[in-house]
Amino acid sequence: MSAVLDVVLSSAFLAAVLRIATPYLLAAFGGLVAERAGISNIALEGQMLAAACMGALVAGYSGSVALGALCGVALAVLLGLLLAALRLELGADAIIAGIGLNLLASGGTAYAVYTLLDDKGGTSGLKSGSLPTVTLPGVESIPLVGDVLSGQNMITWLAFLAAPLVAWLFYRTRFGFHLRAVGETPDAAESVGIPVRRVQYTGLALSGALAGAAGVFLSMGYVSFFVRDMTAGRGFIALAAVFLGGLRPWGVFLAALGFGAAEALAVQLGTLDVPPQLVSTIPYAMTLVALALYAWRRKRRGLAGGVAASL
Amino acid sequence: MTTAPTTRVEREDRREYRATRRRDLAVDLSMTLATILAALAIGFLVMLLTGNDPVQAYEAMLTGPLDRSFRVGRWLEDATTLTLLGLSVAIPFRARQISLGAESQVYAGALAAATVAIFLPLPPVAAVVVPMVAAATAGAGMGFVPGAMKARLGANEIVATLMLNAIVVRVYDYLVNGPLKEPGSSAVHSKSIQQDSVLTPLTEWFGIPLGRANVGLFLMLLTAVALWLLITRTPLGYRIRMTGSNPDFAEYGGIRVPRAIEWSFVIGGAVAGLAGAHLVQGVYGRLEPGLAGSLAFEGIVVALLARNNPLVVVVAGLFYSYLRAGGDIMEQQTDVGTEIVVVIQAVIVLLVTAQALPDLLKRRIARRQRRQPIQGDAR
Repeated sequence: MSAVLDVVLSSAFLAAVLRIATPYLLAAFGGLVAERAGISNIALEGQMLAAACMGALVAGYSGSVALGALCGVALAVLLGLLLAALRLELGADAIIAGIGLNLLASGGTAYAVYTLLDDKGGTSGLKSGSLPTVTLPGVESIPLVGDVLSGQNMITWLAFLAAPLVAWLFYRTRFGFHLRAVGETPDAAESVGIPVRRVQYTGLALSGALAGAAGVFLSMGYVSFFVRDMTAGRGFIALAAVFLGGLRPWGVFLAALGFGAAEALAVQLGTLDVPPQLVSTIPYAMTLVALALYAWRRKRRGLAGGVAASL
Repeated sequence: MTTAPTTRVEREDRREYRATRRRDLAVDLSMTLATILAALAIGFLVMLLTGNDPVQAYEAMLTGPLDRSFRVGRWLEDATTLTLLGLSVAIPFRARQISLGAESQVYAGALAAATVAIFLPLPPVAAVVVPMVAAATAGAGMGFVPGAMKARLGANEIVATLMLNAIVVRVYDYLVNGPLKEPGSSAVHSKSIQQDSVLTPLTEWFGIPLGRANVGLFLMLLTAVALWLLITRTPLGYRIRMTGSNPDFAEYGGIRVPRAIEWSFVIGGAVAGLAGAHLVQGVYGRLEPGLAGSLAFEGIVVALLARNNPLVVVVAGLFYSYLRAGGDIMEQQTDVGTEIVVVIQAVIVLLVTAQALPDLLKRRIARRQRRQPIQGDAR
């Protein structure tokens, strides 16, 4: 047990938690914004994947990391708008349309990489580089904290800043108020003159941007190339964090951070002669139990018809 | 079952109802065809824009699977698994439950079938049947968990099934790499199942080489018919359909909606479990890593394309597997990546879910024929 404690309290481990939690945090906030706007964004996975691929390809061919990241995020925003259009203009089921977009991203990225680079696996043959890391002056000298924070990718900083930003957006701005009203009861929002469609389009675009940032981090921060299906279900885990966090910014923050910590722990425990596959089931099992408990509590409070049950 | 129509009004009513149904079916079929053609056209454009030769590619894709008998076998074997998985999601979809749990169910089924077929000595016929029953039971159990969570607690079934998938896939991976791995083998797979448990290959029946296609094909067809009867001709099927079309009304009409939801998950799970048994007893003869590939998610596409009608799922499954098989052949013969098939598949999903299109069309036709607006439109 003490071996585990040593690992958990080391600065390398804590730094790994921040790094691993980054895509979960950003994608989960993306899911949160969409969910609160009243359109479930199950396409987070595809948006991340498309952004990761686009980012690495553009950065590799143009030589500009910034341009790559921008194009990656822009593509994810487009996919978010497409999802909103399918839902709002064509009456599509958001979940099924999301599944379609995920397929499109999975097939489209693999097809693009194979067509451009003649490689089935990814873009490792293309030099695309990483986004810069950020070290705050002075922080480095603080014991433990300095080692944990310094040298983290700029998107990791962005991911942690996103929590207060999203909370501020939701509860302190006019747009946030409209967004929550639209997600709660679109008819009532409409009747008091809130432009429902515009708010939902904006929300889905923002959701895509956040998922896109998560994707760009994967191919231009976590590693510096795109690998086929490299999101590996992170979008779905982020979606679970949205519900586990009770659809509130700080709750989602804690849930996503928890997934990051559990995964980092699984990686560490893998070195301690425990089957890594079994350790890595822990966060999912925890979510399943939490989901049941959460639903049970809601039901006891007589709120079973609420957001969690409405899907 | 129904009494013969007596009055003139009744007869006219019935005639009109049948005409509406025929019209809807015709529109459904033509929409499905149009969807497929539109998706293929978009695939054509994508290939053209990416500098490939779409005519050559489509020729390889659309004629390839039929030009040798073993390729036909490859297609039928793939279609068997895929259709079973499509059927497995069509049932909960009928109750409007977005179950994405086919992956956990197919792996649980494969594990159960393989464990029984490897370790439990059984007399000849039982050796085939018992592993399948075990697989269906395991799959049903995997369906029951999210089903009960949704029905009894109102827990989100999408999250529950996704989490269960993640867990079962990892446990499966652990078992194949660990306790169930064939001792002394350098490659990762389980021991082979006993010979008596193997589903008879079609090659033995027809005397031409049909690869790994096996009698599971007929089992799949039987399952589809059974599910169609269940959905359209039994009280449980009625409850599931009513729950799907309007849960409040179903509840009001005395249907216990939570029970119907639970059953839809359990039945779907059992069918996905059978797909796992087919993979083990018919296709691979043992457990291999990543046995089901992306088939579980592609089953969703098949169910959607068939609008969750079990008989149409068979057609959609055969069609979709044909594209899959053709995609592989296309990649061998041309420079075009087989992933274009996934893109085409995605376009199909997006077009199918754009519900407003066929509904608009149906309503317009109905209006033109009746020359009278429909009162109290449901939407």
